[in-house]
Amino acid sequence: MLRIINNFNFLRISATEAISYSTSSNTLPYNPALLPVKKSHRKPRWVPIAKSKIFRIPKRPVIPEDETREIRRLFNDYRNHEKSVKNFLVEKHNTKNQASLDPEEILKSFKQDLAVCHEINNKWNKENKILREKRLAEELERDIAFAKNRIEQEIIKEQELFEFTEELVRKEKEASVNFITKENIDDAIDKALAEAVDYNFAIDLNGEKIIGRNTKPVQEQDKISLKQ
Amino acid sequence: MLPPASGTGIYTSVSPKVIRLLRQGCTNRPFFHVVVAVNRAHQSRPVIEQVGSYDPMPNRHDEKLVALNFERIRFWIGNGAEVSKPVAQLLGLAGFYPVHPTSYLQAWKTREKMEEKNEEKSN
Repeated sequence: MLRIINNFNFLRISATEAISYSTSSNTLPYNPALLPVKKSHRKPRWVPIAKSKIFRIPKRPVIPEDETREIRRLFNDYRNHEKSVKNFLVEKHNTKNQASLDPEEILKSFKQDLAVCHEINNKWNKENKILREKRLAEELERDIAFAKNRIEQEIIKEQELFEFTEELVRKEKEASVNFITKENIDDAIDKALAEAVDYNFAIDLNGEKIIGRNTKPVQEQDKISLKQ
Repeated sequence: MLPPASGTGIYTSVSPKVIRLLRQGCTNRPFFHVVVAVNRAHQSRPVIEQVGSYDPMPNRHDEKLVALNFERIRFWIGNGAEVSKPVAQLLGLAGFYPVHPTSYLQAWKTREKMEEKNEEKSN
């Protein structure tokens, strides 16, 4: 698609038009940024010499005789060397000098290449295998150490929890001595009835507490000061 | 999206090709692609292939960076592509081609200038 757009640009045909000529189904949206701008790097032919430059005579460079000879020699040598390099490259890389397009030979060379690739790949695999095994062993060691550490921590945690629960149970057991059970419930009821406790009290004008529902305030020993 | 380095230019087996510099970059910032193009084609035309790049402005390490795809250059020269002078100079400095005489000339001039400067300093 890009090829079509770029090359139709030369004929001054818009990209959208160019796309319309193509048989390909994937269409690019028109984007002027895709198109190279044709810019001239010199002035047009019909523009005359600038007036200020009409009578300007460029100064000829003065090169000494021996230097000229040296430069000529350099260029001659360069051309020779260049030619030889080019010829070498033509001999080696020109498509006309390439090996025949016999499919069997191509397949053969491909297989040879593949064998070399396999060899290299196997070598790398071997190297990597050593590294991988080493790394895996290290990782396993690390994981085992981590797991052991975790197990120890879990044991300590469990121990602490066990001790905590034990403490709770012990305290409860100590407290349960005075609990009322099925066996001693009758005694407890009898005792409670026998020792009735009266929590009622009244406060007189002086702020003094008078304990008991039916107590009379005159009795001296029942007076208890709130300020105490 | 830029045109791919593999190029989109249309060419035939007999069209004369040339490896030359193609000025990219922008105003006051030259940057060149080393491209294979049809000899007569205008510089704005799509190229056959890009085989390298050349940044003529020295970077902060005082280097002018060149990248060349020697495999493809070998191929194209082997298939009859000409090499323009600036590219030949680059290839010469890269050791792919013989050193171009203009490189020597430039070196002479630079050396002369440096010597003059040193003399001025010493005086």
